[in-house]
Amino acid sequence: MMRREEEGVAPINFMWHLVWDFKWDLLKGLLTAVNVSIAALILSMVIGMLFALARMSRFKVFSIFASVYVNIFRGIPALVSVIWVYFGWSLLFGHNFTVYQAGVIALTLLYSSFFCEIFRSALQAIHKGQREAGMALGLTRGRIFRSIMLPQATKIAIPNIGSMYIGMIKDTSTFAIIGMVEVVRVTQNLNSTYFQPFVLYTAAAGLYVVIAFLVDFIFRNAELNFSYPPQGRLAKFLSRKKKKRIEGLMKST
Amino acid sequence: MPTSSNNEVLMELSGVRKTFGTIEVLHGIDLQITKGSHAVIFGPSGSGKSTVLRCMNLLEEPDVGSIKFLGNEYGPGSGRKEDGKRGKSIDLRRKVGMVFQQFNLFPHLSAIDNLALPYRAVRGGSVHEAQERAAHELNKVGLLKFAANYPSQLSGGQQQRVAIARALSLDPELMLFDEPTSALDPELVGEVLAVMRELAETGMTMVVVTHEMNFAREIGDLNVFMEAGNIVATGGSDFFENCTNQRAQEFIGSVL
Ligand SMILES: Nc1ncnc2c1ncn2[C@@H]1O[C@H](COP(=O)(O)OP(=O)(O)OP(=O)(O)O)[C@@H](O)[C@H]1O
Ligand SMILES: [Mg+2]
Repeated sequence: MMRREEEGVAPINFMWHLVWDFKWDLLKGLLTAVNVSIAALILSMVIGMLFALARMSRFKVFSIFASVYVNIFRGIPALVSVIWVYFGWSLLFGHNFTVYQAGVIALTLLYSSFFCEIFRSALQAIHKGQREAGMALGLTRGRIFRSIMLPQATKIAIPNIGSMYIGMIKDTSTFAIIGMVEVVRVTQNLNSTYFQPFVLYTAAAGLYVVIAFLVDFIFRNAELNFSYPPQGRLAKFLSRKKKKRIEGLMKST
Repeated sequence: MPTSSNNEVLMELSGVRKTFGTIEVLHGIDLQITKGSHAVIFGPSGSGKSTVLRCMNLLEEPDVGSIKFLGNEYGPGSGRKEDGKRGKSIDLRRKVGMVFQQFNLFPHLSAIDNLALPYRAVRGGSVHEAQERAAHELNKVGLLKFAANYPSQLSGGQQQRVAIARALSLDPELMLFDEPTSALDPELVGEVLAVMRELAETGMTMVVVTHEMNFAREIGDLNVFMEAGNIVATGGSDFFENCTNQRAQEFIGSVL
């Protein structure tokens, strides 16, 4: 067997120290990805909830509009979406978004359609007796939504929100194409200087995996805190004062 | 049982018809509930008992006919918002309590908050005031020490008692019960009936759909037998002894 040198191929020399040398650049890229995806997560959840309500509305115009929106946008890849927002929009309307804005908008357009479906199925999973109990108590529609439907729907939706968020952060990798200095862009830049694709992309993959683990941990915890009765430490801590007050009432009544 | 001292009519249904899709399930219900009375509605499954009860607090809106309550009239269209303000039906619901077969407690709230949240939403005021009132009502159904429990931490009978306390905390003029013990294990039926019996003794106006014939016999001063969307027979406290309607007799015989 010929050795690599004899073939004229450079010997394999993994420069793992690059990861350490450029850790701050990589982490800054990660921070950008997290920033963009969190902003988009919040917007997508709010807009997705509005679309979910529109979709379940008894007014046909709203429900048709929402379902058309969902079916269009959940089919578009993030790469296409961001190019469209960043380049297409400025051509059409002569207004330029910053790279950061374009990323947030692109993700929000896509993920609000997913969140619409997640929230719709969560709201529909709530037993209809809950609404009826609220109505029978003379609560307003708004109050029933805020205090009865929304908390229960959130609990049902939490695991799905978590996996959506992992998808969102992965989708930020496509924003390298419009020049956002996120993880992939940083990796590309380093690679063009050092030509160490294996080392550098392993590091990039590692960062995404770490975030995915972290997100999973956070959402599992959220699920615990949203269970009835609350199980998480945070909820237990927060409910301590409440418990004391109830105990006080139990004595005084 | 104390019967109504005066004969003031609290709620009156006249010619109430209700259609689901193309099927009419109530064919013109006339019913007067006098203040302080305890009406019992019974009859075979699907005869429209729940629908009558649900019309009484406008969870179902009658298609034809009217419901008079405390000087107001409600009928087809009353659930809609009027002149941009809150629909009238909400005012009725705040004075009519309802207890469901499936309890329908809010699972994400502790027992005390199941009472305090609606109380505060309807009455305003501070959380503390609402919880004070809630504690008072829970105490009356013997569940004060479970105030911090969530519905999943209560037995069916306890859940139903919390549901009754929740409805009572809003000071209703009329209480509706739709088969309140049907979802309970037999050994838990008693504690719920005891609470209802006590409530009846305080003079609360009640309409109860139930198959507990002994309980019906005990509290019912207006007994209503329904079949296929019609009221077929009615009678006073002596209904179970002196009823002449054959279908009603058969039905009573079959459930006793
Ligand atoms: N939301 C609805 N949509 C369509 N049909 C309905 C609806 N609610 C009730 N019905 C029908 O109306 C009829 C009366 O129902 P209702 O629930 O009032 O009967 P019920 O006397 O309470 O029976 P049960 O003893 O089984 O509770 C039944 O035939 C039922 O199928
Ligand atoms: Mg029924």
